[in-house]
Amino acid sequence: MRLAADRILSLLLLGLAAFIAVQAWQLQVPFSYDPVGPKAFPLLLSGLLAVLAIVLFIRPGASGQWPSGALLLRLVITMAVLGIYAALFINLGYLVTTALVSIVIAWLFGATPMKAIIGGLLLALGSYLLFTYGLGISLPTGSWIEPLLGSN
Amino acid sequence: MPNSRFLSRWLVAAVTGGALLAGAVQAQAKPPECIAPAKPGGGYDLTCRLAANGLQDAKLIDEPMMVSYMPGGIGAVAYNHVTGVRDDDPNLIVAASTGAALNLALGKFGLEHKVDDVRWLGALGVDYGAIVVRKDAPWNNLDELMKALKQDPSGVVIGAGGTVGSQDWMKAALMAKADDVDPRKLRYVSFEGGGEALAALLGEHIQVFTGDLAELKPQLDSGEIRILAALSEERMGGPYADIPTAKEQGYDVEWPIWRGYYMGPNVSDEAYQQWADRLRELNDTESFKALREGRGLFPMSKFGDDFHQYVKQQVADFQQLSKEVGLTK
Amino acid sequence: MFDFLIQGFGVALTPLNLGLAFLGALLGTLFGALPGIGPINGIAILMPLAYTLGLPAESALILLAGIYTGSEYGGRMSSILLNVPGDAGAVMTTLDGHPLAKKGLAGPALGLSAVSSFIGATIAIVGLTLFAPLLAVVAVKFGPAEFFALMIFAFASMSAMMGKDPIKTLIGAVLGVLISTVGVDSGTGVLRFTFDMPELYDGIDFVVMIIGLFAVSEILLMLEHAFRHDQEGEMAPIGRVMVKMSEVLYCKWAILRSSVIGFVIGVLPGTGASVASAVAYTTEKRISDHDNSFGTGNMRGLAAPEAANNASAAGSFVPMLTLGIPGSGTTAILLGALMLYNINPGPMMFREQPVVVGGLIASLYIGNVMLLLLNLPLAGVFARVLQVPRWLLVPSVAILAFVGVYQLHSDLMAIYLMLVIGVFGYLLRKFGFSLAPVVLGFVLGGLMEENLRRALSISGGDVGILFQSGLSIGLWIAAALVVLVPMFAGKLKAKFLPAAKPS
Repeated sequence: MRLAADRILSLLLLGLAAFIAVQAWQLQVPFSYDPVGPKAFPLLLSGLLAVLAIVLFIRPGASGQWPSGALLLRLVITMAVLGIYAALFINLGYLVTTALVSIVIAWLFGATPMKAIIGGLLLALGSYLLFTYGLGISLPTGSWIEPLLGSN
Repeated sequence: MPNSRFLSRWLVAAVTGGALLAGAVQAQAKPPECIAPAKPGGGYDLTCRLAANGLQDAKLIDEPMMVSYMPGGIGAVAYNHVTGVRDDDPNLIVAASTGAALNLALGKFGLEHKVDDVRWLGALGVDYGAIVVRKDAPWNNLDELMKALKQDPSGVVIGAGGTVGSQDWMKAALMAKADDVDPRKLRYVSFEGGGEALAALLGEHIQVFTGDLAELKPQLDSGEIRILAALSEERMGGPYADIPTAKEQGYDVEWPIWRGYYMGPNVSDEAYQQWADRLRELNDTESFKALREGRGLFPMSKFGDDFHQYVKQQVADFQQLSKEVGLTK
Repeated sequence: MFDFLIQGFGVALTPLNLGLAFLGALLGTLFGALPGIGPINGIAILMPLAYTLGLPAESALILLAGIYTGSEYGGRMSSILLNVPGDAGAVMTTLDGHPLAKKGLAGPALGLSAVSSFIGATIAIVGLTLFAPLLAVVAVKFGPAEFFALMIFAFASMSAMMGKDPIKTLIGAVLGVLISTVGVDSGTGVLRFTFDMPELYDGIDFVVMIIGLFAVSEILLMLEHAFRHDQEGEMAPIGRVMVKMSEVLYCKWAILRSSVIGFVIGVLPGTGASVASAVAYTTEKRISDHDNSFGTGNMRGLAAPEAANNASAAGSFVPMLTLGIPGSGTTAILLGALMLYNINPGPMMFREQPVVVGGLIASLYIGNVMLLLLNLPLAGVFARVLQVPRWLLVPSVAILAFVGVYQLHSDLMAIYLMLVIGVFGYLLRKFGFSLAPVVLGFVLGGLMEENLRRALSISGGDVGILFQSGLSIGLWIAAALVVLVPMFAGKLKAKFLPAAKPS
C-alpha cells in the first residue's frame, strides 16, 4: 500500500482536469461582451488542478485508513438506504419512509431491534409533528394515502 | 438541574404555541397549490403570493393556497414536473412570466418542450420595461441617448439583471436594433438581479439600466434616477404620467412583463375553466386592485384560452426576434 | 434626529410586538439550528402566516426580522454540536466549534458563540442606526472592480488556512471554484457543465452542497467510528455548561474586530454572512493564532465567525432600508414582504415610514437582547444533544438533511445530488482534505469570476479598471500584505532566532 491513496487521487484529479478542459473547450458561445468569456475560467482552473495533481503525485501524504470488508459493506448499505429513502420519499410519503429508514440506520449503528423500531417510529412521528405543525413545513404525505382519504 | 428542566418545559410550551399558530393556516388534505419555479423571495414567489393572498382575501378559495418552491433550470424543472409528473392536477397552478415565454422561445426549457405543452391560464398583472439613467446623466431624453449610442455603440455602459438572451438584455438589444445599431456592439454588463444592477447605476459603475418600471418607484420618488422611456404601449398613469413611452419618442419598442400562471396539459377543461373564472373574478374585486397596486403591477386582463393564444403568439414573436438580434439561427 | 427610533421603541414595546419579537427569535433559532432550513426558508414559510393573521406592517416586519436574526444565532448550534453547518454563515463555525464540543466544552462553546453573536449584532445595529444613510453612499461605490479585489483579498487571506497540507488546501479550493462554475454562465447565458440536466442550470445550490458535504459525509464517518470504536469518534463527557467571563474576555478583540468586518461586508450588496464569516475567521487566524491552534478548538476561532455573521445580518439591512436594494438573499425576501404591505423600501422610507423603520430597528435591539437571554440558558439544554445515543442521532441528521433539501426544492433530483455530493465529501475527508476551503472556493470563486468579467465588460477589456479606485488599490495592497508579511516574517524569525523551530 505504499503507492499511496494520494497517488491514485492525483491520477483521478488529472483525469478530472482533462475532462473539464475538454468540456470547457467545446462550449459554444454565441457572443460575449467581456473579453474573458465563459471558457477561460474553467480552462485556467483545470490547468491549475493538473499542476496541483502532479505535485501531489510527486509528494503524496500518508495513506490513512481505508474501509474494507464488513465496514465497507455497511457504508454501501447506508448509502443505498439513503438512496432508497430518496426514491420512495414522495410516493410512500414522509412518515412511512422516515420510520423505515430510521429503523434501518439505528440498527446499522448498533441498536437492538426493539430499540431501533421504537426509536424509528417515535422519530418519524415526532419529527413529522414538529415540521408540519411546529414549523409549517409541508412534507409529502404519500400518493398511496390519497385514495384512502377519498379526495379527488 | 431543575432549572434547565423548567426551561425545557417552558420551551415545549412555547413551541406548542407556535405550532398552534402555524397549524391554524396549515391546510388539510389537498389545498390549492402554487409552484414558484424559483427559490423563495424572487419574482415568481411574489407572483404566487399575489394569487394566494388575493384569492384568499376575496374568498374565492375555501382553503389557503400553499406556495411551494421548485428552483432549477430558470423554470425548466417546474415545466418538466408539470408536463411529466403532475400533468393533471386540478389544484395546481405554476407562476410564470414573460421570461418563461422567452426561455421557451429560445429553447432553454429543452428543445422538446413547446409552448402548447401546458395550459396557459391567465395573467394577474403586468409591468413594463424602462430605460433608466442617473439624475445627473448627460442625456435628457431617449433621443439624445440613442444618438450617443448610434455614434459610438460601445461608448455607453448599459447594465441590467440578466445574461445575454434574458429579458433585460432583450430590452437593450431591441432599443439598439430600433436605431439600426448591432446589439453585439453594445457594452452590456449583466448583474445578478435587478437590485445589483440598480446599485451599480447609483454607484456610477454603469450609465444606463434597462429595468422594470414599477420596481423603480422608490428611487423615482426620491429623484435619484430619471426614466427616459417606458417600454409600454401608452403612457401609464399616476406617478408615471410624466414618463414618455419609447414609441412616442420615435422608437418602436415595447416590453411588457406579465405575471401569470399555467396548469398541467391534462387538466380537465372543467378545472381549467374554473380556475380561469376565479382569476377573472379576482381581477375585478376592489381588494385585489389594492393588492396589485401594492405589488407595483398594472392591470392586464387575459384569461383562459384568450391568454393561451396570447402566450403562443408571444413565443412565436420571440423566436423571430431572437433571430433578428443574432441570438439564434 | 433620532425621533424615528424613539417612536420605534414606542411601537416595538407594545405587548403584541414584544410577543412577536420573542416568537420570531424562538422560531428563528429553531429554523437556523436545523441544517438546510435557514432564514430564507423560515421567512418564506412564515410570511403567509403574518399576512393571514392580518398583522400590521411593522408587526409583520418585527416577526420576520426576529426570525432572520434568530436563525443567525441558531445556525451555530448544529455547527458546534454535529459538525454540520446550520446555514451559509455557519460554515466557519464548524472549524473550531465542533472540536470544542469534542473536548467536552459544547456548553461553553454555545455560550461563547451566543455572546459573540450578541456583541456582533449589537455593534452592527448601532452602526445601522448611526450611519445607515452615509454607509449606503459608500456601499454603492463598491463596483465590480472593487468586488473582484475584495475576492482576491479573501482568497489571499485563505492562505492562512493552508496549515499542514497546503497542496490539499489548494486542490480543495480549486474544486470548490470549479463546482461554482456549473450552471448558466452569468455573462453570456451559456450552459456550463450541466450535461443536459435542467436541475443543474441554476448551478449547484448552496444548501444542497453544504448538507451533502457536511451532513451526509458525517453520517458515513460516524458509522466508521462506531464500527471501529476508535478514539476520533468519541466525545469527551460534557463538562461545565456555562461560559466563563475570562473566556469572553480572552476573545474580546477577536469579537470586536470581527464585528466590524462582518458589518462592513454585510453592508455591501451581494455579499453576505458566508463571506463575512470567512474573512473574519482568516483575519483572526492571521492576527491572533500564535500557537497554530485554530481549527483544533480555539475559542477565538469560534468567536470570530459568529460575531461576523450576526453583524453582517444586521449590516445587510443598510442597503435595503436606505436604497431599496437587498444586501442579501434574506433581505430580498423581507423586501418582498414589505411590498405585499404596500411599502416600497428605499431612499424615502426613513421619511415616509418612520414608524416602520423605527419599529424595525428598535425590534432588532430588543430581539437581540431576547436572543441572548434565550440562548445562554439554552446552551446547557442543547449541549445534551450530544448525549443522544448515536443510533438515534444519525437518523435524525439524515432526516434533517432530507427535509432541508426537499423543502427547498420539492424535487428528487436535488436529494440525489445531495447524496452524490455527500459521497464526494466523504472521499475528500478520507483523503485528508478539510472541507472549509472547498466551501470557500465555491462561495468566493463564483463572485470572483462574475465580478472580474463584469469589470472587464464595463471597461471594454481594459485591465486598468481593476486598479482604478482607491478602494480597490487598498484591497490589492491588503491582499499582498496578507500573503507576503507572514513569509517575510518567517524569514526574519529564522534569521534572528535560529533556534526557533521552522514551521
